[in-house]
Amino acid sequence: MRYIAQKLGLFVLTLWAAITLNFFLPRLMPGSPADAAIAKLSQNGPVTEATRAAIEAQLGVPTGSMWDQYLSYLHQVVTLDFGVSYTFYPQTVSSMVSTALPYTIGLVGVVTILAFVIGTLIGVAAAWKRGTWLDSLPTLTGSFLSTFPYFWTALLLLFFLGYVLHWFPTSGAYAATTTPGLTPAFVGDVVQHAVLPALTILITSLGGWIIGMRNTMINTLGDDYVTFAEANGLRGRTVAIRYAARNAILPNLTGFGLALGGVVGGSILVEQVFAYPGIGYLLFNAVIGQDYPLMQALFLMITVSVLIANFLVDILYGVLDPRTRR
Amino acid sequence: MTSTQNVRIQSDRTGDTIAAPSRWRAVARMVSTVWGNTKARIGICILGFFVLVAVLAPFIAPYSAKDNSFERNADASWAHWLGTTAAGEDVLSQLMYGARISLVVGFAAGILSTIVAVLIGLSWGYLRGFASEAVGFVVNLFLVIPGLPLMIVIAAYLQNGGILMIVAVIVVTGWAWGARVLRSQTQSLRGRDFVTSAQFSGDGSTRIVFREILPNMTSLITGSLFGAATSAILAEAGLEFLGLGDSSIVSWGTMLYWAQNSNSLLTGQWLLLFAPGLCIALLALSLTLINFGVDGISNPRLREGKGR
Amino acid sequence: MRFHVSHTHTHHRWKALAFACLTAVALAVSGCSIQITSQPDPSIGEDTMLINADKGNPLFDRNFNPYMTNTRTASRWIYEPLILINPLDGTETPWLSDSWEQPDATTIVMHMRDGVTWSDGTTFTAKDVAFTLQLIEDYPELDIYGAWQHLDSVSVDGDSVTMTLKSEDSPALAIIGKTMIVPEHLWADVEDPATYRNEDPVGTGPFVLGNYNDQQYSMDKNPSYWQADKVEIEHLLLPSTNNQLDTVTRGYDWSYSFISDVSGTWGAASPHNKWWFPNAGVIGLIPNNEVAPFDNVDVRRGIALALDRQSIADVASEGYMKPAGQTGLILPNQEKWLDPRIPNDGIVEQDTDAALEAFARAGYTQKDGKLVGEDGQQFTFSLTSANGYSDWTRAAQAVQRQLADIGIDVELNMPQPAGYQQAISNGDFEVALGGMGNGDVYQAFNSLMSSDFYVPVGESTSNNFERFRSDEADRLLREFRSTVDEDRQRDIVNELQQLVYDELPVIGMYYGGSWGLYSDAKFTGWPSEEDPYMIPQNYDSAPLLTFTKLKRVTEDQK
Repeated sequence: MRYIAQKLGLFVLTLWAAITLNFFLPRLMPGSPADAAIAKLSQNGPVTEATRAAIEAQLGVPTGSMWDQYLSYLHQVVTLDFGVSYTFYPQTVSSMVSTALPYTIGLVGVVTILAFVIGTLIGVAAAWKRGTWLDSLPTLTGSFLSTFPYFWTALLLLFFLGYVLHWFPTSGAYAATTTPGLTPAFVGDVVQHAVLPALTILITSLGGWIIGMRNTMINTLGDDYVTFAEANGLRGRTVAIRYAARNAILPNLTGFGLALGGVVGGSILVEQVFAYPGIGYLLFNAVIGQDYPLMQALFLMITVSVLIANFLVDILYGVLDPRTRR
Repeated sequence: MTSTQNVRIQSDRTGDTIAAPSRWRAVARMVSTVWGNTKARIGICILGFFVLVAVLAPFIAPYSAKDNSFERNADASWAHWLGTTAAGEDVLSQLMYGARISLVVGFAAGILSTIVAVLIGLSWGYLRGFASEAVGFVVNLFLVIPGLPLMIVIAAYLQNGGILMIVAVIVVTGWAWGARVLRSQTQSLRGRDFVTSAQFSGDGSTRIVFREILPNMTSLITGSLFGAATSAILAEAGLEFLGLGDSSIVSWGTMLYWAQNSNSLLTGQWLLLFAPGLCIALLALSLTLINFGVDGISNPRLREGKGR
Repeated sequence: MRFHVSHTHTHHRWKALAFACLTAVALAVSGCSIQITSQPDPSIGEDTMLINADKGNPLFDRNFNPYMTNTRTASRWIYEPLILINPLDGTETPWLSDSWEQPDATTIVMHMRDGVTWSDGTTFTAKDVAFTLQLIEDYPELDIYGAWQHLDSVSVDGDSVTMTLKSEDSPALAIIGKTMIVPEHLWADVEDPATYRNEDPVGTGPFVLGNYNDQQYSMDKNPSYWQADKVEIEHLLLPSTNNQLDTVTRGYDWSYSFISDVSGTWGAASPHNKWWFPNAGVIGLIPNNEVAPFDNVDVRRGIALALDRQSIADVASEGYMKPAGQTGLILPNQEKWLDPRIPNDGIVEQDTDAALEAFARAGYTQKDGKLVGEDGQQFTFSLTSANGYSDWTRAAQAVQRQLADIGIDVELNMPQPAGYQQAISNGDFEVALGGMGNGDVYQAFNSLMSSDFYVPVGESTSNNFERFRSDEADRLLREFRSTVDEDRQRDIVNELQQLVYDELPVIGMYYGGSWGLYSDAKFTGWPSEEDPYMIPQNYDSAPLLTFTKLKRVTEDQK
């Protein structure tokens, strides 16, 4: 009980610090939101003084002292009302986030789970069949693929599978002509559009899970109880899965938990390349456009979910592994 | 009374006492363990290749990296083995000079963030009570803030500092992970007898942490170093690709940025996109492979080859 | 458990992997470039134009209020201006106002066109004009063209609108004429026009909203449009998220984008793909006249003479654009205003000796290949540009190289666009890269030199970033405003050009282009070099004229 209380206390404190940091971060950047909007407009032609004044009036340059702004920001956090976005004026931050969130959770969430499951299984097999090609091939391929920069893999897949071979659509979350709704046609369309981004993330993240599981598995396989079980005549596979793997998976579970927490942040680079309307794309535009309200809301959402995931994993670990409760 | 005359005290015979191996022998042994691992061997060879290319770039590159007097968007030919960029620069020369930046940034950022991780991780693992919670709080804070967005914000704030800025950004956002890993190892070492005996003999905490615990963690730290360098190289590429680095320097990341901006996929010059990305991947791969061998130093079960 | 490492097995594996890698590399090195072709969607009709003009984020917001920054591009084709102005050269085409007079420099009388109706059937009258002007006075955030900086009052008489200006201000006609008119009978009851998204727009323009979803929307031809007989396009289709690969492969009829190697990409994708890149602005160096030594005209002249503009233009725009002159005009668009007395159309050729002479007058001499000042230090300054504008970056690098040849050390300072914008408006720079010039000749010189925009370093302004002050310039601009006589105006512009040429408030380098890409598979009559009736841009109000000039390709023309 004390363990949980301690963790809870730390959680709240870190949450407050993260919230405060989120307040200051966007304001660090030079230039106001109006500057960002004008910079974008001036690419199309000269921007007159009037336009500049109009934009500043429209976007509402932040007023009041830092402390006032901070207090109103805290109020916003508690009521979950982040106001109106600067770059997508006059849309509200909540409407933008709620549109983007399902796509990110769907894409990145599903892929993370898939990558973890597939990677772990392969890792177990690799550790068990250590020394053979079943070990070296996945490990080597996995490491190699995981060193590919995300955006590079994305660009190559986009180009070859999308533009040259025309196997998959090249941008967006669903076709322009499909109407959103829970129809099989729409769902099928969404899946078709998600294949390339999903493949990119899967390819690049698989290696990490494979190697992680393989290493911890190898450690576990060297433990005494495994040798004992083998000596007792248990079949190899039973030993591997029912005994060794269950113990080996524990450290990786921490990583998985954190990865799930990070899902909410989407994958900025992949979403950029595929113009996928997820949180990552939104976040990048918000940062470049100095969109304080949107940036704050997104940073907050990501930090909170990572914190919660951290917290839950710590608790879970305490449940699964009694040794840590000391 | 027993005569002690013919009992020789064998205090100075060095023959049968096993002396601790000298520092150099220990290092040599570690290197041979790493070398013994096939994967690590390949990694070392690849890394060596890139280092060689980077060092010898002024001598072996056919042209200067910024020389833009050539035909734009040319295909591969004998004069330009990999073609030219949209600004008329030779791709192969840029690739060679670009290796320098990637290597320097990768290792500078990797070493710096490992140093920070060691300082903080080890202290955090050793300390108990409130001090430990306080450090843990700060580390968790850094871990929790999303990395790439934080990098983008900091990069925009620092505006234009070139390579130094990129290294600083990567270090600030990347040290926390290593600190966490090192801390858990420190915690488990902390309970060992040699630490208790050092404490009893009155050694100060700093001395215990850095003279007793740290040497036992060299392989983990080395592994963490290579891991940090790998992610630094990828982070640098990502930052420059997004246009947040210094677009006037020539590095693999900026090559990708320019390739994307001049639509090399569209002009059919997909090599412009393929080559720098492949180099980044290979360099990062070499470090990961070396890490396989380094894992073997700390965990003999992971060793392969003759080292076992 | 196997302890024995099967060497031959893994050895074969390595070999196989190595071989695969080498083959891949060999393929790559063979440098085969893959040609992208255009793949138009066959379900799009012959009477439908696919336009690449509206980029979503990546999705659309249903915002058709033409005065908001995040409005859909097509909202400016639903609401029309009083006068349609060609941004290339300032030509005024009567639009909703079919004629106007300027009896003196403080009055404008505009007559509204007959027979114009709103798309819901109501008749368009001068009252709508007065209403719109009042609207943007009441809500200054909507006054994006700054009409009320010049207007004092508006009155309606029948089908005429009389506008009284605050002072003698004849060029104000062009600014007020841009106002897009919205219907009084629908907008009068809107609670907050500044945030009104106008989801079901009703306008006088050639198109009305068709189908809308957040990735694509369509426009249908307005059957009661006052120029309906001239518009042959039945539908417009505007998809979102347009990246460059999409631009080339989707079979767009009209697109707008800078594309590297246009003939090898856009041009090669389809035999019908054409393009036109007219000069639309001037990219130059903006020296901060408030910061020494750039307050010394000889230093500015020295820098101007040291540059090889052709090379900068080639490197920055990949050969598409040409060097620009030092007159403040955009040529050939504004040719009729060019002062024939200025040599070489105002283009300053590179002349290293003359440059050194100018520097010498300012106290800089060459020593050991470096240009040193009177204190013996090398002349060094920072050049500020925006990170992410790739052509500006290349131009800045070229300038850095060329000035290094003469012994000047230039440091590049490249903040993000927002940071750059802040730097130039606050005067927080030594020399900056920037755009200038305007199709409207008065605007061009006014934004460049008027001391109305002058503020000291540290305060922000939106024009005249170089903080140039000249009584002569102010006098000339005042005179221009007070006259409606075109000949007098021409003389004044000649003197203004001479001023820009001699005083060098900014140093012109090369032209910025307008990147019009189009296909004549379905529609012909596009603006081009031979027929430059309008800028080829497909945003703002400019396309309104283009829509009336495009004709459908008939069967026998194919």
